[in-house]
Amino acid sequence: MSSLSLPIGTDRLILRTFERADLDALAAYHTLPSMQRYVFSRTRDVAEVAGALNIMRSHVSLQRPGDTLTLAMTRQGDKKLVGHVSLHWSDATAGQGEVRFCINPAHAGQGYCREAVGAVFDLAFDHFRIHRVFMRSDGRNHHSIKLMQQLGMRLEAHYREHALFQGEWDEELHFAILDREWQRSAKVSDLPPRHRVA
Amino acid sequence: MALYPDYPIRTERLLLRPFTRGDVDAVFAYRRREDVARYLFDVALSREECALAVQQRISQVALEAEGDKIILAVELAESGALIGEVSLIWRSVDARQGEVGWIFDPQYHGHGYATEAANAMLDLAFGPGDIHRVAARCDVRNEASWRLMERLGMRREAHFREHALFKSQWDEEFIYALLWQEWRALRAG
Repeated sequence: MSSLSLPIGTDRLILRTFERADLDALAAYHTLPSMQRYVFSRTRDVAEVAGALNIMRSHVSLQRPGDTLTLAMTRQGDKKLVGHVSLHWSDATAGQGEVRFCINPAHAGQGYCREAVGAVFDLAFDHFRIHRVFMRSDGRNHHSIKLMQQLGMRLEAHYREHALFQGEWDEELHFAILDREWQRSAKVSDLPPRHRVA
Repeated sequence: MALYPDYPIRTERLLLRPFTRGDVDAVFAYRRREDVARYLFDVALSREECALAVQQRISQVALEAEGDKIILAVELAESGALIGEVSLIWRSVDARQGEVGWIFDPQYHGHGYATEAANAMLDLAFGPGDIHRVAARCDVRNEASWRLMERLGMRREAHFREHALFKSQWDEEFIYALLWQEWRALRAG
C-alpha cells in the first residue's frame, strides 16, 4: 500500500501525529474524571499523561496487525488541540479495525469528532483497505452513541453485565460499519504539501 | 467459585454424566456428519479424532480456574443412548461469566432433549456455579441453535456481521445471554 500522507485536513481540523509539545493541551482533558471513566489507561496527573503521550507519539502508522495510528485533532485556525482519534488494526486476515476518540469537553458539541472520525473511516477503508470498522461505547455515554448513529454505523452488540469495569457492572455497545456501507465524504482531502508539519 | 458437580445430573428424561472411553462410537455417529460439523469450529471428525475428543472430555468435569470447561455426555435415561453433549465454560472468574454450548445427534432432534439438557446446565451455572451471566453463540444460519437459545429465555445481545472469517467465509454470528436475575425470574415463574 502507498505510504500514508499526513497530516490530513478536514473542513475545520488538521489531523496530525502527536508531538512532545502537546503535553499540556492533552493533559487538560485527559486527566478529567469524566474522561477517566471511559479511557483504558489511568492518566490522573501530568506525569501519567506524559507516559500516555509517549505511547501515542509512537502510533504513527499501521505496519502490522496490533498497530495503532493515533492522530491529534487540531483546529485549522488557532492550531489548538481539541481531542484525538485512533485507528487500531485488530485483525489482518479479516481486515478488522477499531476506532476510538476523545474530545476535550470544552470543545465538544461542535461536530469535531464526527469530522475526525469520518476522516479516519476514509483512511481505514480507502488507504488501509480495512473491511469492517467497529467502535465500542459505555452504555451511558450518550454523546458517543449518538455520534456512531450519525456516522451510519449499525448497533451490533449490547452487552449487559458481561464484565466488571472500574468496580461496576459494565454495559457496552458495539457499533460497526462495513467498507461497502460507508458513505464517503467529498469534503475530506489531503492537505497540499506546503501545509504539512515538518 | 470452583464447581465440582455430583454426577450424574438427572433431568426428567435425561442423564448428564462425564464422558467415558466407551463413548467413542456413539460420538463418531454424529461428529462424522457434515451437517453436524457445518457450524462447529471443527470439520467432520474421523474415528481417531473422536477418540481424542472423548479422551479430552473425560477429564473436563469441573471448573477450577478461568477457561476450564465442563463437557458432559447426554444420555436418554430410558435407553442409555448417548444423544449429544452439553458444555459450560468458565469465561471470567472476576466477573463470574460463563458460556454454554451443545452438540446433538440429529437423529434425536425434535424431542426437546437439547432444551432439557441446556436448562440443566444453566441451573448448574447459576446455582452451584454462582455465575452471574451465561452467554451462548452461534452462526446466524444455525436457526435450530438460536431458536433453542430463545426457548431457554436468553436475550440476543449481539449480531456481528463480517467481523471474522469462519471456514474461509465471512462470519455472521449471534450472541445470546442470560443474567442471574433473569434466570431466577424464569425459574420462579
